[in-house]
Amino acid sequence: MKPDPVELEIFKSLFHSVAEEMGAALRRTAFSPNIKERRDYSCAVFSGDGEVLAMGDHMPVHLGSMPLSVSAAIAELDLGPGDIAILNDPYRGGTHLPDITLVMPVFAGQRTPLFYVASRAHHADVGGMQPGSMSLAREIYQEGIRIGPLHLVRRGRLVQEVVELILSNVRTPREREGDLAAQLAACRTGERRLGEMVTRYGVAQTRRYQQFLLAYSEAMMRDALRRLPAGRFRAEDVLDDDGLGSGPLRLKVTLELRDGRATVDFTGTAPQCAGNVNAVFAITYSAVFYVFRCLLGEEVPATAGLMRPIRVLAPAGSLVNAEPPAAVAGGNVETSQRIVDVLLRALAQALPDHVPAASQGTMNNLTLGGRNPLRNNEPFVYYETIAGGMGARPGLDGLNGIHTHMTNSLNTPVEVLEHELPVRVRRYGLRRGSGGAGRWRGGDGIVREIELLAEMQMGLLAERRRFRPYGLAGGQPGAPGRNWVTIAGRREPLPAKCSRLLPPGAVLTIETPGGGGWGKPVRKGPGRRQD
Amino acid sequence: MSPERLAIAIDTGGTFTDCVYVSNGRLGLLKVPSTPHEPSVSVLQAIWEVLRRESVQGAWEIRIGTTVGTNALLERRGARVALLTTAGFEDVLEIGRQDRPRLYDWMVTRPQPLVERRLRLGVRERVDARGRVLVGLQAREVERLVRLLKARKPEAVAVCLVFSFLLPRHEQRLGQSLRREGFPVCLSHEIVPEFREYERTATTVANAYLLPLWKKYLGRILQQASQWGDVRVQVMQSNGGIVDASMAADEPVRSVLSGPAGGVLGARAVARLAGLRRLITLDMGGTSTDVAVVEDEPEMTTEARVADIPLAVPMLQIHSVGAGGGSIARLDAGGALRVGPESAGADPGPLCYGRGERPAVTDAHLVLGHLPPDGLLGGSFPLDADRTWKGLERARGPLKSVEDFAVGILRVADATMEKAIRVMTVERGRDPRDYTLVAFGGAGGLHACWLAASLRIPRVLIPVYPGALSALGILSADVVRDLSWTVRRPVKTLSQARAELEPVFRRLEREGLRQMRIQGWPADAVSLQRLVDMRYVGQGYELTVDASGDFVAAFHRAHRQRYSYADPAWPTEVVNVRVRCMGQAPRLQLPRRSAQRGTLEDARLDRRRVIFPGYGREPRWTPFYDRERLQAGWRIPGPAVIVEYSATTLLPPNWQAHVDRYGNLLLERVQA
Repeated sequence: MKPDPVELEIFKSLFHSVAEEMGAALRRTAFSPNIKERRDYSCAVFSGDGEVLAMGDHMPVHLGSMPLSVSAAIAELDLGPGDIAILNDPYRGGTHLPDITLVMPVFAGQRTPLFYVASRAHHADVGGMQPGSMSLAREIYQEGIRIGPLHLVRRGRLVQEVVELILSNVRTPREREGDLAAQLAACRTGERRLGEMVTRYGVAQTRRYQQFLLAYSEAMMRDALRRLPAGRFRAEDVLDDDGLGSGPLRLKVTLELRDGRATVDFTGTAPQCAGNVNAVFAITYSAVFYVFRCLLGEEVPATAGLMRPIRVLAPAGSLVNAEPPAAVAGGNVETSQRIVDVLLRALAQALPDHVPAASQGTMNNLTLGGRNPLRNNEPFVYYETIAGGMGARPGLDGLNGIHTHMTNSLNTPVEVLEHELPVRVRRYGLRRGSGGAGRWRGGDGIVREIELLAEMQMGLLAERRRFRPYGLAGGQPGAPGRNWVTIAGRREPLPAKCSRLLPPGAVLTIETPGGGGWGKPVRKGPGRRQD
Repeated sequence: MSPERLAIAIDTGGTFTDCVYVSNGRLGLLKVPSTPHEPSVSVLQAIWEVLRRESVQGAWEIRIGTTVGTNALLERRGARVALLTTAGFEDVLEIGRQDRPRLYDWMVTRPQPLVERRLRLGVRERVDARGRVLVGLQAREVERLVRLLKARKPEAVAVCLVFSFLLPRHEQRLGQSLRREGFPVCLSHEIVPEFREYERTATTVANAYLLPLWKKYLGRILQQASQWGDVRVQVMQSNGGIVDASMAADEPVRSVLSGPAGGVLGARAVARLAGLRRLITLDMGGTSTDVAVVEDEPEMTTEARVADIPLAVPMLQIHSVGAGGGSIARLDAGGALRVGPESAGADPGPLCYGRGERPAVTDAHLVLGHLPPDGLLGGSFPLDADRTWKGLERARGPLKSVEDFAVGILRVADATMEKAIRVMTVERGRDPRDYTLVAFGGAGGLHACWLAASLRIPRVLIPVYPGALSALGILSADVVRDLSWTVRRPVKTLSQARAELEPVFRRLEREGLRQMRIQGWPADAVSLQRLVDMRYVGQGYELTVDASGDFVAAFHRAHRQRYSYADPAWPTEVVNVRVRCMGQAPRLQLPRRSAQRGTLEDARLDRRRVIFPGYGREPRWTPFYDRERLQAGWRIPGPAVIVEYSATTLLPPNWQAHVDRYGNLLLERVQA
């Protein structure tokens, strides 16, 4: 039986609107600035087999990794009606510990689940060595509380013991509780909406169109892949270091394109490292998913079908498929960006006129934690990522000061940050001239300067401080990022990955990398500018 | 506005400028062609035309709704603006919230900032999060900036300093010096005294950007009008209220979306006469559909974006989606039928207009027999049925027939609109079953019954005067001033919070009453409403609740309604204090339709074969009625097509239309 083009479009729109509606519920009710102001979360709808049917337009890094959470929850738990699973263990369906995922089966009156829904949010702290849980750990045990798939809700009732276990292992329990409540609300919204859908369209029809939708996405991806030239394309790029003295760490990819299929093979990539920039397979899969999804139009739904023609090979025990007990906090935020960079570099050989030069290639993760004199010395944890330069595109300059590829989180307004935390932002501007020169110029990075008004633990996790974002087709690379702290007038450089206890009055300065340029510069000096 | 006086409301659209007026209690309508190159011309023409028809005695008034601001933002035709901002934050306007508008698009662009880099100047000054001065603004610094600006010669200056809503002194001092030098100046604490620096900066800059153009536009109208006697000119605002032109002149950003706001208010005014207060309005035009919700008052937002620029001033909450009569249908590479957001617009238009090459929503209606055979606009705009059929036949792909294709196009377009209605209702904790769908715009009546059925909305209202609804809304609008102030105070107890907020409320009310007095509203004629934006401590979004009673309890209730959970044990905080001052316009009176004798048969134009989506593939013989000839109290059984000059209403089988005494159509499902 063939799908009806009209029904197909309607189901596509229905599933997507459920995911969006879940996201709206989560965003509006969440407590931590990280979710509410920065929007570091995702919601998705899955088939009864755990294949993703729709994802809200939230965080690209969650794109391919959400399905693995759902499969882990299905595999390890017996989920009945009214149950909700919780997990964050990167080695059992998670990505890195701060990302907590809730998975809920939707039975809609059937004996087996007709759907699953999931909501994921980045929690600002899940315990571990340092506030923010993004520390320079050597083992996952140091990174925070690990939650394997567990029942958080059983037959509609919250399992209080699980909640208590989690809350007693984190630094800001009230905020976590509020955020988890928001995630629960998101799942229940999804369940309700899908229930209505089944009532309206019937079980058989709903099941059929789940499958048609997956086949549809697959057809769209095959169509896009067929337009690419066949061949084998290789590329390499590096991470600066692992934060513990080893580096550079090499990433290698071989992209093979043939007959509407693609194989992405990371063989030759460095083994997993002592630091925390190890990526679990879910991250690697997400990054590859992201790159290929960009080949399609914006409106194509992000279903599992898109990845059917694509094979991802990542050697076990490597930087892109880490095994326990490797620390992984940075794999999600830093290595994911480099996986995109190296894959784009390979793809640029196949599609020289369509692929952008490297963007900043880091998320510049900054964590601050301590006690807040503005709020009765309550403990606080603050996490932010800082945008940078976008790589130049064939025909367009890169954008300045913008988040690229695997993240799209918002900044926290200065007037919110200073109101809530003992800090003062002294400068937040573009870093002029940091974009790589070229016929089309790379975007400029950002300068962010923050004065600390109380003693606090500062954690930095950043990349592209040594090895610069590459240019393409003769374009120059972008400027590398820099970081330093000024204490009592003395300026001290900071490593890109570090943790420090800083005194009140310390001023932290972070300059993020510029994007690479595209094409040979027409004249000497900076190329065309947008402004 | 008293009924015996002359009041003229004008809504400038892209093609026509609509005018509705009341003179001696009678309602009049007229239309003149718009003059986009110089929008004040068609406004003055319309007024001139009314004055030719009606005699004026004593004071009278003009009320204007306009897209001058929207168009200038969309087409980037505003002034060369300079921005003064706290040193270190000159790029905030460009960085925005550091996100990109589309996730999976390497070629993504974002609009250029409205102020170029060279004109974004840092000011040495700083106020902290508690409103204390850290770095004072020195006289020498002011002089330096004035010198710089005199050299760079901007046409307007926006000033937005960090935390100026806590301590406006520095902005005020800069404002004074710059005004003395003759610069038009906008100060952020006057435009939006609320936190979040990017949104406040962007709004203030947009205001400065529109200022010179706007003053010229209003100036022309004021100057001409003053020669016509004792006339008060008023301007429609995006918040659904109206203000005196003298007051509106400094705040163009508050009038940016006044057109769509007029439509919602018009729907409200008409529905109110029909005794309906909870409404979902659906304005379906050629390229997009606007959805809004009214519960006595229209829903408001301060998070609207126009031309990708956040405008943090109160506006009616209107959700717009890319589905309209001109939305193009195509089969994509994966075999799904897609409709919109790409639109054929008016030129080349759908296939049936005779030039377009790709099938659009209007074409689907035509082949299914939904449109009058002699064409649109009373037959003055013929449609090419043969060409449309052939075009659909070519593009239908695997769909079995042209009719199936057409039905499919309509179902997909309906799904998009249904989604938009859900965003405004279900997503916000509202049950569509409690509402009436008010459908207008050229195509609203063609889709209303299907949308109502799938969302279980019990009834549909097709208002009278669909072509002039926006002008009607402007005519019915109350005089409104919204004032606000960010306070961000935790609530310990209700009485303590009350006591703390009282001085802020008082100050805003004093200022509001002053502004109302200038517009001719004495204090005793003004109704004041106190509102607070609240959230749980730590949340990032606020809910606005009425502050006259126990606002803490009201907040918990609102939170539960909207997000399905609430916890009275969690601490709350008041973020913004709001005061709304309102001078109520007299209720709009519409002429009543006489209930003359005659039968439905007298209003029948034709009988044709029509396919109703969802009611089988066989065409049904269906009467076409002329809406003008329908009499009050008549009931029209479906299936039927009701035709008027600028719109068509489709009444499916199992539905019935009732004509009320004003000529509104109330459509309801008949129990089978």
